[in-house]
Amino acid sequence: MLPSFKTFAAALTLLSAAAQAAVVTYNWNITYVNANPDGLYERRVIGVNGVFPPPPIEVTVNDTLVINAINQLDVPTSLHAHGLFQVGNNQMDGPSMVTQCPFPPGANFTYTIPTVNQTGTYWIHGHNLGQYVDGLRAPLIIHAINETYTYDEEYTVAFADWYHQEHAPLLAFYLSIYNPSGAEPIPQSGLINQMTNATFAFVPGKTYRLRVINMSALSIFHFHIDGHEFDIIEVDGIDVQKANVTTFPIAAAQRYSVLVTAKNSTSNNYLIHGDMDPMMYDVVPPNLVLNITGTIVYAPDAPLAPIEYSDWAAFEDATLVPVLAQPTSPYTTQNVLTAAFYLMTDYTNKAVFNDITYVMPKVPSLYTALSMGNLSSNPQVYGPNAHALIASHNEWFEIVINNDDTGNHPFHLHGHVFQIVGRSEGLYDGSTPYPYYDASTNPNYANPMRRDTMLVPAGTNAAIRFQANNPGVWFFHCHIEWHLEAGLAITLIEAPEVMPSVLTVDPQHYEQCAVQGIPYQGNAAGNAGLNLTGANFGPSILPGKFTAKGIVALVFTIIAALLGLVTVVWYAHDDDLALAQASLAEAAEKNKAAAESEELSSL
Amino acid sequence: MAGTDYFSIPIFFIIFRETTEAAIIVSVLLSFLSQVLTEDPAMKKRLSRQVWGGTALGLTISLAIGAAFIVVWNKYGHNLWASSEGIWVGCFSLVAVLMITVMGVAMLRTTQMQEKWKGKLSKAMDAENARGLGNQSRRYALFILPLITVLREGLEAIVFIGGVTFTEQAKAIPAAVVVGVFCGLLVGYILYRGGNGMSLHRFFIGSTCLLLLLAAGLVAKGIASFEAYTWAKKIHAQGDDSATYDPRVNVWGLKCCDPNNNNAGGWQLFNAILGWSNVASIGTIVGYILYWLVVIAWLVYMKLKRRRAAASRAAMEDLDATEFVGEKQEIGTDSSTHSDTAKDLEGDRIEETPALDSNPVDLKKL
Repeated sequence: MLPSFKTFAAALTLLSAAAQAAVVTYNWNITYVNANPDGLYERRVIGVNGVFPPPPIEVTVNDTLVINAINQLDVPTSLHAHGLFQVGNNQMDGPSMVTQCPFPPGANFTYTIPTVNQTGTYWIHGHNLGQYVDGLRAPLIIHAINETYTYDEEYTVAFADWYHQEHAPLLAFYLSIYNPSGAEPIPQSGLINQMTNATFAFVPGKTYRLRVINMSALSIFHFHIDGHEFDIIEVDGIDVQKANVTTFPIAAAQRYSVLVTAKNSTSNNYLIHGDMDPMMYDVVPPNLVLNITGTIVYAPDAPLAPIEYSDWAAFEDATLVPVLAQPTSPYTTQNVLTAAFYLMTDYTNKAVFNDITYVMPKVPSLYTALSMGNLSSNPQVYGPNAHALIASHNEWFEIVINNDDTGNHPFHLHGHVFQIVGRSEGLYDGSTPYPYYDASTNPNYANPMRRDTMLVPAGTNAAIRFQANNPGVWFFHCHIEWHLEAGLAITLIEAPEVMPSVLTVDPQHYEQCAVQGIPYQGNAAGNAGLNLTGANFGPSILPGKFTAKGIVALVFTIIAALLGLVTVVWYAHDDDLALAQASLAEAAEKNKAAAESEELSSL
Repeated sequence: MAGTDYFSIPIFFIIFRETTEAAIIVSVLLSFLSQVLTEDPAMKKRLSRQVWGGTALGLTISLAIGAAFIVVWNKYGHNLWASSEGIWVGCFSLVAVLMITVMGVAMLRTTQMQEKWKGKLSKAMDAENARGLGNQSRRYALFILPLITVLREGLEAIVFIGGVTFTEQAKAIPAAVVVGVFCGLLVGYILYRGGNGMSLHRFFIGSTCLLLLLAAGLVAKGIASFEAYTWAKKIHAQGDDSATYDPRVNVWGLKCCDPNNNNAGGWQLFNAILGWSNVASIGTIVGYILYWLVVIAWLVYMKLKRRRAAASRAAMEDLDATEFVGEKQEIGTDSSTHSDTAKDLEGDRIEETPALDSNPVDLKKL
């Protein structure tokens, strides 16, 4: 019999949905460009296709995003689509020496990225040598087919801090012996959409979605709009129930979407504010403009409404409620990671998780996992300073992050969003049960807020939890670029036993490693088994004890002092005259004896 | 123990030394008077009061000047040097080292000091007697002598303290001064009561040893101050970087035992007396050892010089004894001539004072 009309209609919808899942291709020639985004200083930046800033990437959910990246810089590079899950696709995640070798100048690397099961606001940036700070970054928007909230139009408001010097010399100073306190280089300005004087046209009565992104190396921006309230509707790609606020802070790599309703008149234009938080800087230079603005334009010549100053009211992202509820489960594995900074044995100031500073292995960790067979579940093979944590497939994995530093850190996990299941003051040592959120501390404790980049303020801790259902090697690190390069990172080896059946690496990627002399098989030293001779290892924390050199020096100073004191006593002994007289008498005696013997002999 | 915050050890020693010297002089004067004027108690009482009066006035004036100097200096002088404090602390540490070393070594000649003063006094009294006691102008000789001596000692102490005060806090000075004065008076009293020269000699050896240890520590601290200043400039220190050091020249850098830590009282004391620090560089270690080597060389040089001079004098005496019996008296017992010769033996740094109320004599340069 003929299929009913209903089934026919259903089949048609399915087909059209499948047809809508397109392959969206971007060709990215990554090049150096000269630009002057803040109008204060022209410098060399990294752009795409000869253009700075790189244009945003937009796809619809279920599309396959293809980025043909060609490296036309003079150093190797790689790209990371921040926040994308890369399910079964870990080899396209991007962090250099974690999931791939950076691809060399002249080479091309095609990132094929699925976008199933996630919508919202993301960004894409360089993940080698801090290149994103030099400009290799752009918003990445995944549109839903049916958005949860209705709005008329949308804009992207991407904040970023901006340096006048290139990243490489700044990094060289930051990690040198001349920076023992680990002071992060301070930016010279802040930008919106990598320019100044950004404008957003508003039409009275319409509702706008503002996708707020922070693409900074370091800075936190406090977001507020003169004369307008807004509702937070999305956090790091997770739709949330509307939360009405007047201001919120956004840390490096975080994203928020807000709904703003335009006013009904065109009598004024209004400023959008991004106030850079001075607490992130060691010193605030007098000519640094902290409060940057863009303009919401209702009418081209309308006067600006009076500027409002925000009090930067406290904001707790854990109280936001995800629209799609996901209950939590008790953990199977819990790791307590304490973040801190110390002066190391190489006299540089470095970051550590549990006293280990991250150092890139000789072989990308994913390639190690894929080539070590059963040993891939042994954290040792990833190197002494890769700080590998092993997660079994589908287990509930929990990390408690202690921030034992005086600065605030935004921590980011690749390949996942994680649930925020608790926050508390001080440091958690694991000796008592963790004070998770419950009905009294957080109303939505049963549907915890989830996101991929979370700010842990100084001297506090937070517990995050996720299910290890995405086999791959996922980087977990502070997203302050300076701190990542100082070693505030760990490598999560998720379901290593499942990886070979789920992940495939394009042989071209291995070739690119070989071309640069980077080994792509074996453990962190490129050897088989557990032989880690030659592995990259990092400095350890300065013990502050005596070395052989010190003991020798101390002994010599003590000897010198003792000799001196003995000499003083000897000097003070008032025996000169007596000695002289005694020696005279002796001489007289001798003479006498000599004279006598002479007499005797002459007889 | 934040003791060293309120008790400056270098200043204690300086005050102690100066007070002791002044006390020696006064006690010599007083005991001399008791010995000489046994038949004339009224005269003795009057002259003793003169001695005390002169001493008291000298003390008061020098203390007043000293206090004023320190207050003015700490109030205005410190601000001038604030920005380049490291360099000024370093410079004045090294100046203080020089002063303390010279003073400490000179302290070892104290017994000779006593002899010298006894000689001076007896010579002066002889002259007095020759012209008749009770003469108006000479009535006050015994007032003026201690006054001038104490005044001079006091002003010297001020100069020394001025040099050391850069490295000390103002609040550390009063306690050190009080205790130093007390200890110096104690020594003078012991002297007056007839403590024999030998044990006093040992006492002075001990205090000189301490002073030189102090000075050596100051050398290390002065060099450390210079190095901290240059390193802070290199790393563009923001004020809370004071705990860092140049790793390229570092010899030891300990987490513990930090004298700058207010809770580590013992280490603060070590720092004050011995110059201990939890951070040592090639500069501070070499400087410390070099200081001792220089002191040793200097002491050895002086001692050998003395021995040669003593040998030649002994030979001369020997000669005199055998050939010129009669003239032995000119050379032997007259202690003022002794001191003349002593002066020659030590180097010609002082002029001898023939009369009591003329130019003050610098006792230290014996």
